[in-house]
Amino acid sequence: MLRWLALAAALLPASLGAYPEYHAFVVKNSGRPINCALCHRHADGPDGAAPGQLGRLTSEAQERLGRARSAFEPGVKVDSPILNAFGNHMVQVLGRKQLMELKMAPEQLAERLPADSDLDGDGIPDVRELRDGTHPLNRNDGHPWLLFRHNLMRNLTQIALTLAATAAGLWGLSHWLRGFAAATQIKDEEEESESA
Amino acid sequence: MNLLAFIQRAETYLGERLPVRKLNYDALVRKKEVPVHRLSWGYYLGGLALFFFAVQVVTGLMLLFYYQPTVSDAHASVEFITEHVPGGALVRNMHAWASSMMIAAVMVHLLTTFAMKAFARPRELTWVSGVLLLFITLGLGFTGYLLPWHQIAVNATKIGLQSIEEVGAYLPGALAEWPRLVKETIQGEASVGQATLSRFFALHVVLLPLAMVAVLALHLFSVQLHGMSQGVDEPPRRKEKFFPAFFIKDLSVWGVAFMVLFVVALCVPFESFYAYPLFEPYDPKSSTPDGIKPEWYFYFIYYPLEILPFWVVLLLSLAAGVGLCCTPWIFRHTSRRTLRLLAVLGALYLVIMTLFGEHIYRLFKG
Repeated sequence: MLRWLALAAALLPASLGAYPEYHAFVVKNSGRPINCALCHRHADGPDGAAPGQLGRLTSEAQERLGRARSAFEPGVKVDSPILNAFGNHMVQVLGRKQLMELKMAPEQLAERLPADSDLDGDGIPDVRELRDGTHPLNRNDGHPWLLFRHNLMRNLTQIALTLAATAAGLWGLSHWLRGFAAATQIKDEEEESESA
Repeated sequence: MNLLAFIQRAETYLGERLPVRKLNYDALVRKKEVPVHRLSWGYYLGGLALFFFAVQVVTGLMLLFYYQPTVSDAHASVEFITEHVPGGALVRNMHAWASSMMIAAVMVHLLTTFAMKAFARPRELTWVSGVLLLFITLGLGFTGYLLPWHQIAVNATKIGLQSIEEVGAYLPGALAEWPRLVKETIQGEASVGQATLSRFFALHVVLLPLAMVAVLALHLFSVQLHGMSQGVDEPPRRKEKFFPAFFIKDLSVWGVAFMVLFVVALCVPFESFYAYPLFEPYDPKSSTPDGIKPEWYFYFIYYPLEILPFWVVLLLSLAAGVGLCCTPWIFRHTSRRTLRLLAVLGALYLVIMTLFGEHIYRLFKG
C-alpha cells in the first residue's frame, strides 16, 4: 500500500512539490535574489533530469519521495531526495498539509518554524536566514554583522592569542630596533669625539 | 636639437629624478627624516598598501597548493579549500579581504599624495610609477575575480570583457578592430572558458605580480632617494628620524592592520555580502542569476556605465586616466589648497558611488 502511495505521489506534477510563493516572498522580504537551492537539492528546483531532480531518481529514491509527499502531518521523519536538509526539516516540522496551507500566507512560514533551529551552526537561526534570504545550510552565508558577532565570540581565544603574539612581536622588534639605533649612535659619538 | 644635447638633457632629467648619489647608508637610514605635521598620517598609507600586497603574496602562495585552474575543478577546489583544508577558510578570506583593503589603501594613498602635492618635481617618476601600480592592482583584482569560477565571477568577467569590445564602436578606421582583438586575446576563445581561465590565472599569479614587483621596486627606490615630500605649504615645525622612530610607527600600523585583517577574515566570510546563488558553480546552460556586478572597487565606473551612455563614460575615463598619468605636469602650478579640494571631491565621488551607486542607479532607471 505504502509502495503504491509513494509511486502515486512521485508521479504527481512537480509543481505540487515546489513552492514558488515562498520563493517570491523571501525575495520580496529580503531584497536578495535566491534560487530553489534554499530548500531543494538542485538550484533549478525539482523539474529536470540532473542529480537531485525528479528525472534522475532511482526506485529507492522515488520511495523516499513518496514517503515525504505523504507526510501531511508534522513530526514524520522525512528524507526527500529532491529536498535539502532545510526543505526536509520544514516538511518534518510542519507537515505538507500546513506547508501547502501557508502558501496563501507565506509570511507566516518563519513564525511557524522553531526559532532555535540552526542547521548550519553559523549562529543565525534558520527562520532569520529564511527572512534574510540567506542560506540556512551554508555557514558562510548570512547577515554579515550577525556572522561577525557569532564568529567573534566563537574565536575569542584565538583572537586574544594572536593579539598577544602580535603585540609581543612588535614590542620585541621595536626594542631591538631602538637598541640597534642607540648602539650605532654611541658608536658615531665615539668616532666623533675621537676625531675631535 | 642634436642627439648629444638630447642625451645630456635626458641625463640631467634622470639624474634629478633618480639621484643615486644619495644611495648610501647615511642618507637612507642614519640621517633620513620625516616631516611631522597635520597630514603626517598620509605617510603611512604607502607602507600599508605594501603590507597588504605582502599578505596577498603569502596567502596567494598558500592557495596555490590547492587551487586547480580548470573550469571543471576550479570551483570545487575553492570549496575544498574553504571547507576541508585546515585554516583554508581563514587564508582564503584573508586573501579576499586583503585585496579589498589593499585597493582601498592604494586609492587613499593616491588621494593624499595628490592633496599633499607629493608629485611635484623631482617626484614625477614616483607619481607615475604609483599610478601604474594602481592600474596593476586593479588588474589583479579583475583577474582574481574570475578564478573561483562561480556565477558572479564568470558573468561579471563576461560583462567586463564585453565593455572592452564596445570601445571599438567609437574608434575610427582600423583602430576600431583593436578592442575586439584585445578582448579576444585576453579571452582566448569565442566565449569565456578554459582558455580565459588559464590566461587570467597566468596574469593573476605570474605576469601581474612580476610587473607589480618591478614597478614597486622603482616606486620604492624613488621614494627612498627623495625621502618624504614636505606635504604642506608651511615648513614643518618638527621632523622625526626615519630610523627608528618612523619605522617603528610604520611597523605598529602594520601590526594593527594585521589584527584588523585577521579578525575580519576570521569572523566575516567575504561572500556573505552577496546572495548565495552568485557563488554556485558556473553553469553555461543555466540562466544568469540576478545581482551580477563587479567587486566594490569597480563601482565607481560600473554604475556610471549603467546610467550614462557608454561614450560619455569612455570619454570621462580616458580623461581621468590621462589626467592621472600627467598629474605632475597638469597640476604643476596648482596650490595645495586647490589640490586638497580636488582630492576631497574625488574621495566624495568614490565613496558615494561605492556606497550609494545602486540607489543612484535605481533613481535613474526606476
